Amino acid sequence: MKTIALIIVIITGSFLLYATVDFPSWGDPQSPASTHVSPRYIERTLEETSVPNVVTAVLADYRGFDTLFETTVIFAAGVACFFLLRAFGKERPATGLYRHLLTGVTVRIKGSAGLPDDMEEFERIDTLWTPYDPIVKVMCQRLIPFIQLFALYVIAHGHHSPGGGFQGGVILGASLILLSISHNFRIALRRMGERLDALLCALGVAIYAGTGALCLLLGANFLDYSALAGILHVDPVTARSHGILIVEIGVGIAVMATMVLIYNNLASAGKFDEGL
Amino acid sequence: MNAQMPVLIVVVPLLSAFAIAAAGWFNRRLCMPTAAAALGVATLCTLGLLLRVIQDGEVVYRLGGWAAPWGIVYRVDFLNAPVLVLVAAIALVNLVATSRIVVEEFPGKEGAFYALYVLFVTGLLGMVVTGDAFNLYVLLEIASITGYALIAMGRGRAVLASLNYVFMGTIGACFYLLGIGYLYIMTGSLNMTDIASFLPPLYSSKAVITAFIIIMVGVWLKMALFPLHGWLPNAYTYAPSSVSSLVAPLMTKVMVYVMIRIILTVFTPAFTFRALGLNQAVVWLAVAAIFMGSLMALAQRNLKRMLTYILIAEVGYMVGGAWLGNRAGLTGAVLHILNDGLMTFCLFLAAGNILYRVRGLNMEDLRGLFRKMPFTMGGFVIGALSIIGVPPTCGFFSKWYLILGGIQAGHYGFVVALLFSSLVNLILFFRIIEVGYFEPHSEHRHEGQDHAPSMEEAPVGMVVSLLIVASGLILAGLYAGDIVQRVVNLAIPESIV
Repeated sequence: MKTIALIIVIITGSFLLYATVDFPSWGDPQSPASTHVSPRYIERTLEETSVPNVVTAVLADYRGFDTLFETTVIFAAGVACFFLLRAFGKERPATGLYRHLLTGVTVRIKGSAGLPDDMEEFERIDTLWTPYDPIVKVMCQRLIPFIQLFALYVIAHGHHSPGGGFQGGVILGASLILLSISHNFRIALRRMGERLDALLCALGVAIYAGTGALCLLLGANFLDYSALAGILHVDPVTARSHGILIVEIGVGIAVMATMVLIYNNLASAGKFDEGL
Repeated sequence: MNAQMPVLIVVVPLLSAFAIAAAGWFNRRLCMPTAAAALGVATLCTLGLLLRVIQDGEVVYRLGGWAAPWGIVYRVDFLNAPVLVLVAAIALVNLVATSRIVVEEFPGKEGAFYALYVLFVTGLLGMVVTGDAFNLYVLLEIASITGYALIAMGRGRAVLASLNYVFMGTIGACFYLLGIGYLYIMTGSLNMTDIASFLPPLYSSKAVITAFIIIMVGVWLKMALFPLHGWLPNAYTYAPSSVSSLVAPLMTKVMVYVMIRIILTVFTPAFTFRALGLNQAVVWLAVAAIFMGSLMALAQRNLKRMLTYILIAEVGYMVGGAWLGNRAGLTGAVLHILNDGLMTFCLFLAAGNILYRVRGLNMEDLRGLFRKMPFTMGGFVIGALSIIGVPPTCGFFSKWYLILGGIQAGHYGFVVALLFSSLVNLILFFRIIEVGYFEPHSEHRHEGQDHAPSMEEAPVGMVVSLLIVASGLILAGLYAGDIVQRVVNLAIPESIV
């Protein structure tokens, strides 16, 4: 069976390679791809959208409708993970484990009673052996704000430099996952609960789609940001630039929330009581 | 608002998906009505659009206000307008029909379920309405991802079946994307009509021929054309019934539409049917699909599984009809997209109703069903007659055109395959009808008593929806002439005779 599969793969691969002999040569300025639609993007992006980054303009404006659905794919993946993995109504584990922070002694408490909340020298842990590493914890704690700041920079500067909502959103989401890994699942969940996360996930894409729908309500076509000129008090070309920024923010929120949603569901096997 | 209709059919369900996902966390009872309202609006828009196309011809909508090769456009013509109506209407009816099962099957997750459901429909509608080859891929991704998730929530081996589907589906989508990439390199455009305008001098280019072939293989994989059908039977059998009655009728039909769209609009008949010279081979492939699908259906003991193999045979009908390359064959294929969508929907809906009451779909579970669920079985029989191809149900008319096309093209293998498959369907369904009508109900047989089992129908909503669909089958049959004359005929370019 493996041999047959290998033969099929080799045949398909060589077929695809064989076809490339008719391709225009690499980097050919006369190739159709560089003479048909690209010149307009390169020459007129700035005057049509007032965005210096051509890639961003193509992504979020000329072909913004594709990007809306790429974001929706991410949203759908998040919802799918939740739908398939989330297990509701599992009872809490019969015993709770607590570590005394000063001595490192682990206390086991049966039943769902747990320790009183005001005993701050104890920390709830998930498994009998949970590494306690102050260096990792403290370092991550110090790093996370800077990571998040950088993420916001990447989202906001998509207009001018490589970056944008997807990249910034991933960095933002990674910072929250880092919190979850370096501390524990419960602390991360206290910062951003499941419901908030799911709502942000929907909100992010809804910002994108809603911006498009707003253009529609203002009498232009869907996602024609120039219609926002009246609301934003700028000229139609600048309105396109602002419109792109708005949808990039939406993308950033959606990507961040979806990453956290997928991580939470996968890491806790849908039970949301303990992580890795 | 009239001018915005093409985009509304996609955007309204899309926005509703976010509202539904959010509502799932506050009041889960709002989810289903929101979805129903959104799909209702979408259905009305598709109907309005169809009327507009019939009146004024092709409708073009520029997204973001950008003109064709630079931006993305929606293009609605006689080919996709009826498919849009089909998709939106089936999704809406199925949503209403299965709302009760959903609450029972996915407690606490209605929000996620309906969000995925509506997104799936959004994906299908977007694939049908778009005039941009890459946009089609993005929407295909949405329909696929949501489809995998919905199917995986079934019982038994559903997760494994869905995983298999994920692998196969991803390969199919990748092939499509790769083909579009090749086309972009050769033409520099992603817009369908724009690509078509650049292609004629490139018809003999190896890259373009390869692009066409890998796009076709990708699309065939997604529509489960034999021998690429391996993922389908398990995925659709183990899927929850509220999902299989949505995915089974729509996904394969939309992919057949995509194939016809690529043949006719992107590559034009001059390339596909004349320059390429693959007609005969593909029609023989379709013949093999029809034979294999029908034979494997004969071997099944489970109703839903049997239906999935019939589906595989039906895909062969449409692919074969389209590749005959003549007007009658293409008319049959396009008409069969509509009819087969309705027929399979009717049958899967009936299977869902039976499963709801009987908890099993094996042959022995079907005993005495005509007494127990007379209305459901009534709907089932109409669907079965349509699949067999008995007039006045709609199945007869599309099969008529397909056979006509086969005779005109001189492809008698295809004609024989169609007749053979009709015969097999006859045997298949009459076997079920016999079991359901003449054999006593299993529970009562053991007691040895002779009293008739009491009627125990599925919930009213499910039965009424099924009967609406069943009457739709007859209506579509009665108006088949009008549909062909006013819509399907105009969908096929005049160069095809």
